[in-house]
Amino acid sequence: MGRSSTPEMVLIFRGTHQVMSAEKHLKKGGVAMRLIPVPRRLTSDCGLAIRVSLDLRDRAREVLSAAKLLPKSVHLLRDRGEYDTVPF
Amino acid sequence: MADAVRGALLRAGNPGRSAHVLSIRSARDVFAARERLAELFHAADSSRFVFTENATAALNFAIKGILRPGDHAVTTSVEHNSVMRPFRRMVAGGCSVTVVPAGRDGAVDAKSVLSAVRRNTRLVAVVHASNVSGAVQPIGEIVRKARRLGVFTLVDAAQTAGSVPIDLAALPVDLLAASGHKGLLGPQGTGFLYVREGVPLVPLIEGGTGSRSEDDRQPDFYPDALESGTQNSVGLAGLAVSLSWLLRRGVESVRKKEMELLAELAEGMERIPGVAIFGPRDPARCASVRSFRVEGMDPAETGRRLEKGFGILVRAGLHCSPNSHRTLGTFPEGTVRVSPGPFTTRNEIAFFLSALRKISASR
Repeated sequence: MGRSSTPEMVLIFRGTHQVMSAEKHLKKGGVAMRLIPVPRRLTSDCGLAIRVSLDLRDRAREVLSAAKLLPKSVHLLRDRGEYDTVPF
Repeated sequence: MADAVRGALLRAGNPGRSAHVLSIRSARDVFAARERLAELFHAADSSRFVFTENATAALNFAIKGILRPGDHAVTTSVEHNSVMRPFRRMVAGGCSVTVVPAGRDGAVDAKSVLSAVRRNTRLVAVVHASNVSGAVQPIGEIVRKARRLGVFTLVDAAQTAGSVPIDLAALPVDLLAASGHKGLLGPQGTGFLYVREGVPLVPLIEGGTGSRSEDDRQPDFYPDALESGTQNSVGLAGLAVSLSWLLRRGVESVRKKEMELLAELAEGMERIPGVAIFGPRDPARCASVRSFRVEGMDPAETGRRLEKGFGILVRAGLHCSPNSHRTLGTFPEGTVRVSPGPFTTRNEIAFFLSALRKISASR
């Protein structure tokens, strides 16, 4: 996936199981994603988050709500590592 | 399975504690094991399978997590000590327990269990199949009727998980406990407790979960609510592989094969003078366990002769289930137990029967 001009979203889940499960469903649903360490600015959890391109938001939401796995919070990556919390 | 355990041991990643490649690989192993359990038992949500070190820990989590002082519970006279001892502890803490007697073949009557339910009954706990007699209990009827009475249900499936089909989509049991190293063919040190959504279980152990680390209160979501501390991801990597094998083979197919071997065992043992069998003869009513005694011989001695003379390893004695032996009339000497598995062959059954014939004749 890598850095592109399209903004990226960071999806935070409740626990590791939920991240693994979201990854499974997103991949099955054809949504390009990658696992990243949870940014410390967003939460002090020790684990993983999922990064998805903003233009895949609708498809990601569709897949995750069907799996009853909506993220705890969603953040938009701005320049200089700042995040905006956004609705999903 | 052993290769998967070795691979995970050498990688040594800790799931949920970091985001590096080794941690993620371990998290994937644990996730795979959980997903495969959900598939095997037809459960919609794999997060409700909580990993424990064995069935005993799972049963303790269930019994001690659901009962409160003043509550009443119903169980049977053929439960393992991993059920009876936690109940003893709860009784000392102000609960009461009714132990419903089973018949001489170790089978319980659903009506007797349900008629012991009182106004303050919170839990009915029944073993799916006895680890001594093999008797399969009518858990379908007990669970469905207990649910209608508003009582939580716990099934101890240590002896049946992976060898007798259990369908959580059809069986509305609240709590299901099993070990990973028996019918699920995984390594020792693995087990699970399934907790149906909405069942208010208080965690017995609290601690680090890798989630909500900013909060010093235990998470309320599954599986983290009941999985604190570093998990046995090494063992679970092995369990994930053995569950894949079972899913390919099919529990129904394992059951069919084991029932054929049980029938051969019973027919052969009945023809040997001086051998007494305990538990149901009908393989359809029996999990893959046959308990027997050679008359006039200490079960430990029978076990010793099977090993020394023929290389056959069995378990003799009380099988951590003294109440089962009291029910069968085999307390305190116990019995010898032979348990065919999915890899047991008909030739091995024939070899065992021939060995038993020789031992019985040499009395």
